[in-house]
Amino acid sequence: MKVRERVAAVRTRATDDEDSAVGRGLTLLSAAVAAALVAPLGWLIVDVFGLGSRALSLTVAPQTLQVLVRSVALVGAVTAGSVVVGVPLAVLTVQGGLPFRRFWTVVAALPLAIPSYLGAFAAVSAFGPRGALADTLAPLGIDQVPTIYGFTGAAIVLTLYTYPYVFLTTRASLLSLDASLVEAARTLNASRWEAFRRVTLPQILPGITAGALLVALYTLSDFGTPNIMRVEVFTQFIYARYNAFMREYAALLSLELFAVTAVVLALESRTGADDSGAYGSSGNRGAFDLDLGLWRFPATLLPALVGAVAILLPIAIFGMWFLRSGPGYASGSMAFSWSYGLNSVYVALLAAGGAVLVAVPIGLRSATSESRLASLADRAPYVGYAAPGIVLAIALVSFSLDVLPALYKTIPLLVFAYVVRFMPQAIGSIRTSRLQVDQGLVEAARVLGRSRMGTFRSVTLPLVVPGIATGAALVFLTTMKELPATLLLRPLRFDTLVTYIWRVQEAGLYGAAAVPALVLVVVSGLSMAVILAQEGRGD
Amino acid sequence: MTDTNDSSARTGSSRRRFLALGGTTAATALAGCGSLFGGDNASGSDGGSGSDGGDGATGQQGTNVEIPSLSAFRGSGTLVEGRPAPGGTSIQDLPDLSGSLNLYIGGGEGGIYFQFVEMLQEIYPDFEVFASSAASSSLAQTVVEEVNAGSPQADVFWSIDASSLGFVADNDAYEPFPDDVVSPVPEGFRGSDNAWVGVAGRARSVPYNTNQLSESDIPDKVADFPDTDALRGTMGWAPTYGAFKSFVTAMRLLRGREAARQWLVSMREAGTEQYPNEFVVSNQVADGALNAGFANHYYALRVQNQRPNAPIDLAFTEGDAGALVNVAGALRIQGTQKADLVNNFVRHLLSAEAQEFFTTVSFAYPMISGVEPAGGLPTVDQLNPPDIDLSELSDLEPTLQLMREANVLG
Repeated sequence: MKVRERVAAVRTRATDDEDSAVGRGLTLLSAAVAAALVAPLGWLIVDVFGLGSRALSLTVAPQTLQVLVRSVALVGAVTAGSVVVGVPLAVLTVQGGLPFRRFWTVVAALPLAIPSYLGAFAAVSAFGPRGALADTLAPLGIDQVPTIYGFTGAAIVLTLYTYPYVFLTTRASLLSLDASLVEAARTLNASRWEAFRRVTLPQILPGITAGALLVALYTLSDFGTPNIMRVEVFTQFIYARYNAFMREYAALLSLELFAVTAVVLALESRTGADDSGAYGSSGNRGAFDLDLGLWRFPATLLPALVGAVAILLPIAIFGMWFLRSGPGYASGSMAFSWSYGLNSVYVALLAAGGAVLVAVPIGLRSATSESRLASLADRAPYVGYAAPGIVLAIALVSFSLDVLPALYKTIPLLVFAYVVRFMPQAIGSIRTSRLQVDQGLVEAARVLGRSRMGTFRSVTLPLVVPGIATGAALVFLTTMKELPATLLLRPLRFDTLVTYIWRVQEAGLYGAAAVPALVLVVVSGLSMAVILAQEGRGD
Repeated sequence: MTDTNDSSARTGSSRRRFLALGGTTAATALAGCGSLFGGDNASGSDGGSGSDGGDGATGQQGTNVEIPSLSAFRGSGTLVEGRPAPGGTSIQDLPDLSGSLNLYIGGGEGGIYFQFVEMLQEIYPDFEVFASSAASSSLAQTVVEEVNAGSPQADVFWSIDASSLGFVADNDAYEPFPDDVVSPVPEGFRGSDNAWVGVAGRARSVPYNTNQLSESDIPDKVADFPDTDALRGTMGWAPTYGAFKSFVTAMRLLRGREAARQWLVSMREAGTEQYPNEFVVSNQVADGALNAGFANHYYALRVQNQRPNAPIDLAFTEGDAGALVNVAGALRIQGTQKADLVNNFVRHLLSAEAQEFFTTVSFAYPMISGVEPAGGLPTVDQLNPPDIDLSELSDLEPTLQLMREANVLG
């Protein structure tokens, strides 16, 4: 075989994937894994059969559709809001030359460490009628504060605690952006804005859409925040029916929610389909500086403002609860134990590990394959991410009792639930980092005689490790915060930080929630450090 | 722990012993060894439980068991001082508890009830409880599903409301209690066929601000509330709260669907404010932000106990849904291997000490006649609850539907 033919052959295969046989195996593996993850949700269909002919009329009942429209509108508002807040923050912290850039990066990412329902509690405590703000303003003669409850309030709170998804994924894209391309554009007389629009934006678009997808699906599945903000969305609709002993109805509504998810995924695959920009060249040749001049000082107001509202405010409110709560009646089982923190960390680590094991083949494969099966395998797990915790828990309770009773209420099943629910975050970040691996490098290694596996090990893997670490940290973080599935699936006598917070808040002991809430924020904050440290490698 | 520190307590040697035990629990919990119960120190004694012969014994106390004095079972605060000694069967006269028990306990108030379980574990070194807590209705469905699948996980279900107990009973996932276990409790607070028994009562009530209103301003019938000028635009409720839905369900069962819907609409149009839970409603009443509200009775007592000077008191309607008395209760789950232990456990929940505890710590209504309600409340007999089968409260679907039609978000 002539050299040129060999190069051509390698080139074709390498562009498609490291190896088609391995690739096919990988595709099948990821499809199988995805199927195994989604299968328990199929148990809901069994439940729905119990409704018989009522199912159809309930599906299209006006009240159902009304809630559906409201949920979709909330998803749209929060996703748009997150892009509006997240992308500028990412650009500012990467390219803006802000003073104390590292600090502001941490500040901008940190809201992700705070469960949005705690943020909502804080917002309601502070801004609600007769809240802390109203009390403070009362002596000044201001006796009315605009109400925080309702659609707008829910959208604002959710945006504040979910935009970091967009922020982080956009940052990752910006950090691996080839600065020389931007410089080239500037040399060719493109204005700063034009260079951003024509060179930077297309390159970071996959990152933005990956983050936006996570935001959209989180919003769709969140229960606590809309509940606290008094907006009736689909999850609450489901939850109320489940708690009213209407399980089958709840299952039916859950399936409808999945249908919405499918639509969101389809939309995302349209906008995110053009990954060509990300393939281009990316060697991460230094971040490009926007050179804001003196504007960089006022620009810090943006992260400062977001940080104050999203981080300082809840911490202040927890502190207030802590100090204000009188003894009243006391603790016993309500006493806080550090073991709750250890339990949280323990299951979150297991979930992160499990999610990575599953996400690596799926993420790598979907980034490099055009096959429908691979992209389906990539997409299917997102169904789990959109499943509200309560729905997933209901399905898993039925599934495990019917199929695997030995696993019921065990740590493995709990971890399985977390993996189903949060793995897409890992897939997303692994996939994005794989997309940015310069195919030229892979080809070069193959031409220079490296084996397929060798190329993968020595070229591809080191370049996607940051994506894997980020994915693991995201799964860890979200597992720490997860509530409904933990409540239903945890083994007897196993409490975590959030189940404890839930218990004391249900009993009206807000003060007792302060310490675990702060512990939760600190531990989650540490996992943010992992995410940011991974990026640091590119700095 | 503060509840054992009140100065009014008559300190005896057994009380000191209890305090010491309590201290151990707290220390263990803080050190992070055990989980809920700091139960590690008791785990070594599992093997010995059989030789104690605890189960089924009749009133014989083992040598290592010491029952704390009554004051250890009492809460603290102004509402608790000067109470008479409770009547009823003392723990002294019950067989020892030994062995381990799996317990499903409803969230919320269940957290407070569980403290009593912890005390039982302190008293009986051979007794251990593994608990799992979630919303009562969610646990009820779990129980039914587990029993149907032939693998019940828990022995006892302790729900914080009767509708969940009714749901489990309707689905035949229980084992009836013997008559002698449930006999201390009035019939209205038991399931038919002895399927379950109430252990703590929760009355619907109207907390009102005593600076703004007097008791005579509150109508006797909840139906008259929308047309009462003193209440217009200044009441609060928490429609997402389960107890509120039970209240609406009761109204629907008593007066029909349309009347219940119309009442909700009228109250809403009168400007009733929505709050996330009834503790908040009660606090808002105490703050003067609301003149009155709808809430379970113990929230106002809790506010009073924390803030003795707060201008809040309770009114009750008569013979209608506004006077509904719901219960937290226990149910023996079908398929448990520990029927005797469960029965004995429930006897303990209905003992004089337990009832005194529920009454003075969580401010629940006692279920046995020998114990007075806290805070000078009328007794259950003096209240005038509607004639309603509490198990029927589990029929929530029409209630949610009518709440939706009334645009009162459930």
